Amino acid sequence: MTKKVEIKDHNTLFQSEKYQQQVENKREFENPCTLQEVEEVKEYTKTEEYKDKNFAREGLTINPAKACQPLGAVLAGLGFEGTLPFVHGSQGCVAYFRSHFSRHFKEPVPASSSSMTEDSAVFGGMRNLVEGLGNSASLYKPKMIAMSTTCMAEVIGDDLQAFIETARQEGNISEDFPVPFANTPSFVGSHITGYDSMMKSILSYLFEKEPGEIDKTEKINLIPGFETYTGNIVELKKILSLMGVEYTVLGDHSDNLDSPANGEYELYYGGTKLEDVPKAAGAKATFNLQKYPLKKTAKYIEEKWEQPVINGPYPIGIEKTDAFIKKVAEITGKEIPQALKDERGRVIDAFTDSHAYLHGKRVAIAGDPDIVLGLISFCLEVGIEPVHIVCTNGDKEFEVEAYALLKASPYGIDGKVYTGKDLWHLRSLLLTDPVDFAIGSTFMKFNAKDADIPLVRVGFPIFDRHHLHRYPIIGYQGALNLLTSMVNTILEELDKDAPGHSFDVVR
Amino acid sequence: MKRQVMEAFIEPACEHNQPNHKGCAMPKPGEAAGGCSFDGAQITLLPIADVAHLVHGPLACTGNSWESRGSLSSGPRLFQYGFTTDLSEHDIIFGGERKLRQAIYEIIQRFHPPAIFVYSTCVTALIGEDLDAICHDETKKWGTPVIPINSPGFVGSKNLGNRLAGEALLQYVIGTAEPPETTPFDLNLIGEYNIAGEMWDLEPLFNKVGIRVLSHLTGDGRFEEIRYAHRAKANMVVCSRALINMARKMEEKYGIPYFEGSFYGARETSASLRQMGRLFNNPELNKQIENVIKEEEEKLSQDLVYERQILRGLKVVLYTGGVKSWSVITALQELGMKVVAVGTNKSTKDDVARIKERAGHDVELIESDGAARILKAVKTKKADIIIAGGRNMYLALKEQIPFLDINQERHTAYAGYVGLKRLAQHLVHSIQHPIWELVRYKTSWQEELSNDS
Repeated sequence: MTKKVEIKDHNTLFQSEKYQQQVENKREFENPCTLQEVEEVKEYTKTEEYKDKNFAREGLTINPAKACQPLGAVLAGLGFEGTLPFVHGSQGCVAYFRSHFSRHFKEPVPASSSSMTEDSAVFGGMRNLVEGLGNSASLYKPKMIAMSTTCMAEVIGDDLQAFIETARQEGNISEDFPVPFANTPSFVGSHITGYDSMMKSILSYLFEKEPGEIDKTEKINLIPGFETYTGNIVELKKILSLMGVEYTVLGDHSDNLDSPANGEYELYYGGTKLEDVPKAAGAKATFNLQKYPLKKTAKYIEEKWEQPVINGPYPIGIEKTDAFIKKVAEITGKEIPQALKDERGRVIDAFTDSHAYLHGKRVAIAGDPDIVLGLISFCLEVGIEPVHIVCTNGDKEFEVEAYALLKASPYGIDGKVYTGKDLWHLRSLLLTDPVDFAIGSTFMKFNAKDADIPLVRVGFPIFDRHHLHRYPIIGYQGALNLLTSMVNTILEELDKDAPGHSFDVVR
Repeated sequence: MKRQVMEAFIEPACEHNQPNHKGCAMPKPGEAAGGCSFDGAQITLLPIADVAHLVHGPLACTGNSWESRGSLSSGPRLFQYGFTTDLSEHDIIFGGERKLRQAIYEIIQRFHPPAIFVYSTCVTALIGEDLDAICHDETKKWGTPVIPINSPGFVGSKNLGNRLAGEALLQYVIGTAEPPETTPFDLNLIGEYNIAGEMWDLEPLFNKVGIRVLSHLTGDGRFEEIRYAHRAKANMVVCSRALINMARKMEEKYGIPYFEGSFYGARETSASLRQMGRLFNNPELNKQIENVIKEEEEKLSQDLVYERQILRGLKVVLYTGGVKSWSVITALQELGMKVVAVGTNKSTKDDVARIKERAGHDVELIESDGAARILKAVKTKKADIIIAGGRNMYLALKEQIPFLDINQERHTAYAGYVGLKRLAQHLVHSIQHPIWELVRYKTSWQEELSNDS
């Protein structure tokens, strides 16, 4: 007979009196400053004066809300069959990428590094790359290695093409072993730029490897982009199957990052088949689900594959999902099936059920460009007012698009868009001009706590809640999922703050 | 910087420096590698809670890592802020000095920290930023210590980074202020990072025997107390080899004796307490230590009756870093478990010897970081549970093997006598969890399939 074991973790354990006393004793070592002073400064950081100073910051970034190029490149690599992401540069970067994805997807993540050291800083990283390719190929037996770089290799100026060629000549990898590569310095762009470069490199490499005529097909291609919801890719496939559309997902990392626990770990699971890439060149069109992480890729496909590329919009919310489905129907000539129409109807029904609670709620949103645009659009549909919108890696084009969305709705008039700003800027915004709740990644939890508002976790990374990435946020089902989490967050708050007489059973 | 790295690299108290073998092990290209020296330096220094930790480099060295360590603070939260100079291509061409100075100014204006630690990264080291000179200059200008941490990622492994961080503390912090009062039994703990609050279990234990922790290096530490560290009467190195240089140099410079020990398991904890007694060399203290050990061990053995019943004879594969690879073995053995394989990729030669000494010679040693090797060991040795760090967790779960996380992300303190009780509880919990029934259970359609074939 087993008995239930009770264990205290650090949330509860250190609240007990013994430990609290210890904390008090320790205060003598803390740079002396009274509790009253702490309170005063806390209040001061809520003022307009502090906000202005905060926004005048020049040299310092506090609590960044973006990651770097090779992180995106690793995700792009994981979308292909038997592919090992390999990062040329110092080793620590790759350890971070693996932890980052592991903590978000709750999955093991394969990726290796050429582990450059001080010698390489002086003599260049060729030996590390050549040896590293050989070791990776024999240890992890991939079908393809997708190579990106860290800052170190880029500052030195390593010549990837020449080094890979050397590895072939020395027999570390075979003549025809595919090694697409992309230069992905962290000091330029962000993870979405790196995704783009790697994706373009993989597609062009596999396509140009087998020159010849392009055979036209009836299929369409889909590229997910820096997609951190495996559920989104699954949802996408569902929509296309319902419509009877034949398709190829290029860069399908949904299986690799959501494989079943059946007692046998496979290093590579699923992914786009390598031989499907050249065939994809003959498709009717390519749908880039996200626009900003696929700019270079889009250009390449238009020019070399000579097919139309539909760039976004990322189908979050009813309107954008409608637009996506309409475009697919238009290009493939397929009917929109009743099942999809019914699903849409049901989600609209759900919107109407909840609308009274959402109406006029003010929110702050932070995240990557496509997801932020989608969330703005969704919020406006359900009557939520986006007020503070922070997109650290957004560009001018994003800003124009975001304002166009906001201006088109009376719910968007208070909305202000900030690109290049960090989460400490957002904190000032939340404290000087409060909102009802925030939408964004786990890193926003500090801000949300300081502002005493709930955080609806959407985006990347989400380390502190489980399984959200398995639930789509795109398509009609995705709109329903977003609606559910937002409305229930609001209802939860209502209950929490309700005086006795308003603690209602029916909401 | 070059000189510091070389010094740390060939640390004489580290047995990796033998005539036929020089310096810390370098990572092998092409393997899935662990953290870098920058990461190592952060592990060692970030627990100093009231200091502003500013990363001078491209954004992602901070972006990929801020606020993802398990070191807890009882007071200040400043260490949780991700400060960075966010260098762009432009800065790399023209130099990041102006931006760094501006960032230091902004931190001092906004946050008034007792000190700023400025970390170099691969990029700033390569473009030749003179961190030492800039920091020296800024310290003079503002009166707030601005301390350079020269441990860019490419110089080597996490261990080397720990060591370089220790060098920086020795050079710039320790010995720069005097404690308000001293006691005859002042101890520094070196390499204890208060993961999941372990320090808060240990400190009351020391207080009970009459030992005071003068400086926490660095778990739940404060800048001011670390400046006093040179006045301690003894040093204990908790995380094995990584910070041995600090202890050795403090012995040389200030005459503070040191020992290495661990707090995982009752046996190691008692041994560590006795070692402290030996260094302080006071009969009264020794008597008190013996009393406390007796009392705690008796209480613990009553507390553990149930867990020992469940855990007796179960087999464990242990895959952790450095010191934990041997110190945890003792703890598990105390619970009646058998350690059948141990990962040694981050362990020193000395660590390996200690592993063999504790787990016996037929224990399998897994040298290289390879998922396949761990899984194979579990299967061939018919192990009941894996104990490892976060990155290996999801791998084990895929293979439906019970798993216990022992690295920095964990939420439970395992050190000391009370820690062993918690470790035992967690092991029981992991092994008895109903989920393992579910994964071993064959669905009716699976049975049908096997009947058909």
